[in-house]
Amino acid sequence: MGSSLRSFIKDVRGAKTLADERAIITKQSAKIRTKLRDDHLPHEKRRVNIQKLLYLYILGEKTHFGQVESINLVASDEFVDKRLGYLAATLLLDESEDLLTLLTNMLNNDLHHPNKYVVSLALTSLGFLSSPELARDLYPDVENIIKNSRDPFLLKKALQCAAKLIFKDDSLLEIFNIEDITRVLSNHSICTHGVLLGITKILQSILLIGLNGNKEEEDGIDYNNDILAPLSLLLREFFVRLENLNSKNIEPGYDVQGICDPFLQCEMIYTLQLYFQVGELLDSKHVLGYKDNFCDLLTRIATNTDSTKNSGQAILYETVKTIFSLNLNQPLRVLGVNILAKFLAGKDNNTKYVSLNTLLKVVPQEPTAVQRHRKFISHCLQDNDVSIRMRALELSFAILDGSNLVELVNELMKFLAKQDEDSKDLIIYTIDHLVDTFDTHVVKDESWKLDVFLNILKLVGPFINYEKINDILIIINNTTKLFDKSNFLQKLLSLSLDGESMEISDDNIGWQLVLVWCIGEYGDLVLNGDNKNNTSSINESSITDYLLNLQECYTTTNHKIINYILTTALKLSIKIFDAKNIEKLRQLILNYADSTDLTLQMKSNQYEIFFNQSLSVKKTILETMPKFEKIAEKSNNVKGSSKNLISNEPIDLLSDLLNEDSKSETKDSTGDNVKPIDILEEIFGEKNDITQPLKRGEEEEKSTNHPTVAITNADVILPSDATKIYDSSSLNVYASLLSVSSGLAHLDLFFQAKSLISDLQTFCAVPKAQKLTLGQLYPSSTIKASQVCKQSLKVSGSGKLKLRIKLDFHLNGSSSTTNEQFDHKFNESL
Amino acid sequence: MGVQFILCFNKQGVVRLVRWFDVRSSDPQRSQDAIAQIYRLISSRDHKHQSNFVEFSDSTKLVYRRYAGLYFVMGVDLLDDEPIYLCHIHLFVEVLDAFFGNVCELDIVFNFYKVYMIMDEMFIGGEIQEISKDMLLERLSILDRLD
Repeated sequence: MGSSLRSFIKDVRGAKTLADERAIITKQSAKIRTKLRDDHLPHEKRRVNIQKLLYLYILGEKTHFGQVESINLVASDEFVDKRLGYLAATLLLDESEDLLTLLTNMLNNDLHHPNKYVVSLALTSLGFLSSPELARDLYPDVENIIKNSRDPFLLKKALQCAAKLIFKDDSLLEIFNIEDITRVLSNHSICTHGVLLGITKILQSILLIGLNGNKEEEDGIDYNNDILAPLSLLLREFFVRLENLNSKNIEPGYDVQGICDPFLQCEMIYTLQLYFQVGELLDSKHVLGYKDNFCDLLTRIATNTDSTKNSGQAILYETVKTIFSLNLNQPLRVLGVNILAKFLAGKDNNTKYVSLNTLLKVVPQEPTAVQRHRKFISHCLQDNDVSIRMRALELSFAILDGSNLVELVNELMKFLAKQDEDSKDLIIYTIDHLVDTFDTHVVKDESWKLDVFLNILKLVGPFINYEKINDILIIINNTTKLFDKSNFLQKLLSLSLDGESMEISDDNIGWQLVLVWCIGEYGDLVLNGDNKNNTSSINESSITDYLLNLQECYTTTNHKIINYILTTALKLSIKIFDAKNIEKLRQLILNYADSTDLTLQMKSNQYEIFFNQSLSVKKTILETMPKFEKIAEKSNNVKGSSKNLISNEPIDLLSDLLNEDSKSETKDSTGDNVKPIDILEEIFGEKNDITQPLKRGEEEEKSTNHPTVAITNADVILPSDATKIYDSSSLNVYASLLSVSSGLAHLDLFFQAKSLISDLQTFCAVPKAQKLTLGQLYPSSTIKASQVCKQSLKVSGSGKLKLRIKLDFHLNGSSSTTNEQFDHKFNESL
Repeated sequence: MGVQFILCFNKQGVVRLVRWFDVRSSDPQRSQDAIAQIYRLISSRDHKHQSNFVEFSDSTKLVYRRYAGLYFVMGVDLLDDEPIYLCHIHLFVEVLDAFFGNVCELDIVFNFYKVYMIMDEMFIGGEIQEISKDMLLERLSILDRLD
């Protein structure tokens, strides 16, 4: 292994395997460590070792042992040592190091060094390592250079340093003297572009301090009068310089793609923006008096700057950002939006990205101007770059309103048609927002709306999550015209039952769920409707067989859809007439009578009981769902399963059992609708011998691993550590967190009535990544004023602990239901 | 405004230059993890069809550009003007090119300390300080001779 830096680098590069490379690096690293400990090592050797160390730093190796040596090098009298020492210090040290204190002294000396290259090194390093302590100690030295140096090279660095230091320690504003700046500005021989950049930086620091609050007032500085007023004297000068820069065509040395110094232009525009932001904030007439001039200048820049090159775009972009951050007058805002639209229309993805990002932010300020460019936005939906598609998508929804709904939704459908699994996030985002859109906008043409959803299911059904499927079902359910619904089902069926059609893949679970549900609800409409003979493939047998086949596919793999199929089988049984098919459906339900999945087992058994009821009883229970209001985002199963009804309407035997175990049954889904309860009770009243053993099994399983203390006392007392999470005119809700560990939390909710509350029903939802087990209300769902009832919750999963809770109850014995809903976030996470 | 860091790595992800301008975490491992993440993010992007900007974290977005086999990356604030940083990168590469005369990866590998010198004449504490190529090169040739 050679001893020079070059040969070391060569060795590392030449390593054949990773292990070789590691061996070389480890060996060299150890060697450097030993060498650096040797006090008698000649300077030249020290330098080589530090250089090697820096190479190791670039490779991501540990280099902390070189920190002291880098300071030693800085302390050397030789320029080459100093240069390397400062480089090592800026790379290896950070602001928290104690070694910085050592460095302060050396920086102090070097800032006064007769060699301007040493001063320059010290300034560069100070720019990196500026900390509040360094700021206080070294600001006078930097100021000294600003005051006395005639060298633009040092001046620009000193200005930049001063900007950093002032920003680090705003009490320096007291000693900062604006005249230092004005003097530099007026001296043409030293005021180069670099020096001007430094000046913009100082101004930005000072203005940002003004924007971030008025700490200075305590120190006796009136920011508005003492700082901003003198600073505003520079405004006119700035306008002139910026205008000159912008209108200059060619300035050798500063030309970037035909634009004169875009860097300085951007910094100046940004500085001016800060001026006016602070001016607005402090209502300073010194600054705001120039606002019209500023608007005129921005208009000229916006119109005259060439938008075809990256450098021009940077300036235009900065201009647009300024227009909107100051919310300048409407013509300027429209001009700004038009500039962005021009960016969108181009081919360059960089400008499209920037434009979409900015348009998203300005939609609220100038909605109509943005809407005007929706063609370009829709065009971006088809872009190759996923981040552009995502932004175009967000923007499409942001500008969507009643007037362009149909047009934009059609564009979105085109967009969906082109997505594949890689852009799942985009699909989910689109569906979420489309569902919301249809919730908030009234669409007159409901058949079009259903067609949209048909298309969605067709295109991206496999990617839609269950919650959104539920929302889609609600939308279908709430469609007013039966004809539209039956038409919808007709279309679903003909695509699925037509064996030739390959349009619907077998794993399109979203499609299948919706279809199954619709068969249960509207099967009769299709079978008996006027359009019956349109398609021969749709008949009782084909639908029954479809359910059977689907059931077979998913027997063990997806209990969700089996749940749907069971309910649909039951519902369909009263809508068809062929005894053979009805029997098939009964057999389908019976298949799960001893399923290992408790929910399915229970459903199967309960449905079997329904099945044997007389048709009139069944018809009442199995009626088509009524129109319903959407409640939070929580129901897993739109159809209220009979299981939930049990928990809402406790049957004596069951509640006894439950009280004993101090634990209620699991509710993995909450019923949204209330079916005719009396009939159910009638049935279960006789037959609870079937459900009860099931329950018991479940309860025992639960109670063994549940730490909740058994409640023997009928009165629930509000524990002192419970925090109030909700307060309304009718009740208070408290929460008490019993335990939180990773993946599992137990908590109790306490409901304290302010006046008589009866039939309290609670619906809880947790974030997607979590699962909620909801206990029963204890002691009862009726609470007298000031009494408390309690409910235990178990949340498993991951993420922040938060709840959305909806309460339904009757107040003071009134027959109408009161709804209340609230969200609560806990500080804890799972 | 201001650059949080400048990074340069090749297509294989081997780092050639790294300079953090913001307060570095005292944990070097975190910096290394960040670099690895940045490499994965950028190298997986479509060179032709995707923009040169990508969001990286809650406080940082990346502006990058590939020159032959080398990626030059700048980390900037989320609200910053991306196109101008692309100009920054380009200017930096142009200066490198002029300084070394048709710069290639090996120039940067073997003369990394000179590249830092160039970087430090262009940026100070993450802010651009000089934009004139002529001035930069004149200054750099003097500094280079001070060895």
